[in-house]
Amino acid sequence: MEIATEAFILVRSINAKLYSKYLAFYIYLTVVFLIDLLRLSVLTLRPSVYAPFYWYTEFLHACFGYAVILEIYKNALNKSSGVARIARTFLWGVLTAVILKVTWNAVSGPVWSPGTTSAELERDLRTVQAILLAGIIALLAYYVVATGRNLKGIIFGYSAYIYACVVSLAFGSLPGYGLRPGWRLVQPIAYLAALLIWSYTLWSYSPNPATETESKIERDYKLIAEKTRRALARARSFLKLGGEL
Amino acid sequence: MSQLLPYLGVSLLLLVVSALWARQLFLTRKTRIELIVPQKREPTSGSTASHGDLGERIFDLVDWDFVSRNVPSEIQQMFLRERTILAISWLRRTRTRVSLLMRAHVAAVGQIADLHLATELKLALNYLVVLTLCNLLIAWIWARGPMRTRKMVGQTLRTVAWLRGAFEQLMARVSAET
Repeated sequence: MEIATEAFILVRSINAKLYSKYLAFYIYLTVVFLIDLLRLSVLTLRPSVYAPFYWYTEFLHACFGYAVILEIYKNALNKSSGVARIARTFLWGVLTAVILKVTWNAVSGPVWSPGTTSAELERDLRTVQAILLAGIIALLAYYVVATGRNLKGIIFGYSAYIYACVVSLAFGSLPGYGLRPGWRLVQPIAYLAALLIWSYTLWSYSPNPATETESKIERDYKLIAEKTRRALARARSFLKLGGEL
Repeated sequence: MSQLLPYLGVSLLLLVVSALWARQLFLTRKTRIELIVPQKREPTSGSTASHGDLGERIFDLVDWDFVSRNVPSEIQQMFLRERTILAISWLRRTRTRVSLLMRAHVAAVGQIADLHLATELKLALNYLVVLTLCNLLIAWIWARGPMRTRKMVGQTLRTVAWLRGAFEQLMARVSAET
């Protein structure tokens, strides 16, 4: 099901000439598609090595996920250079904090270990992605950055998937929880949901709409500023009234 | 189980931020109407009690001068009670206006290149201070009356004035760059 949906989105991206518009995102999807094909082959031909193969490729999957973050960042903020600068500061801040934490763990811990298990490593990678996504979405919401249907779809689909990944991997890493079949299903279901969202929102090219014209924004802004100025002048009279009483 | 908290916290943060953004996207059309419609309505308003006139009446010293000189104390008390209600109403409108100003600001500054993180954080912080002060003032006026709130009103007004100045400076930069 996943492989068929991925193939469908990729074929549609070529037909609708979307591949080059969201290159990093489609490279991610192509890599995941190839990984899924390889997994299927390994599962069919060499089932005994499927488990380690799955975790190695899952790590690759998580790493390529950063391409989606890059795509969101690049497309959402390309017309807002000031906001993009704040986003860059935030992204570098998060990455620096993560590097510092890893270094600190390496220095303070008795044995150097990038992650005790593949699942924990993936959980940490996904958590950093969740922080980066939350930061970018917060900036988009705060600065009311106009986004098109394609970008909204990419963001909501990937956010839903990352959310499910972090929660399921966090619970899955607890002793006793990892073996429960329910937790294993969360990630594939969330990924399928993301694929369905992408199938719908990436059907045709829908660029980010142009922001409101400067004149309209300025007009609204000046109108409100003028009203506030008048209200302040009246309020000062109110203060005088209070003083006299 | 406590080792889960950071991960659950991060995922909750992502969920909340996504939900707020989705809500904002859903309400975008409504926000535009709120910003644009009042300026179209105002010139056509034939009512004698337009919003501007109402504000002038609330804070006009002439009213109090007249009441304090010519009417008995019961009427003065009634006047003060009504002034309290009107002051609260004015504060609520000021709060709404500052919110609109902030929204217009964030929509406008998206266009400028030299956006300073420190200034933006300071603005956001002051905006929160204004909202908090407005809410506190409303509660204070409600409890103690409008005449014992001068200090807090002064603080609110200073913060609002600072915000307005900062907005105007940023807007000048927007105009210069576009």
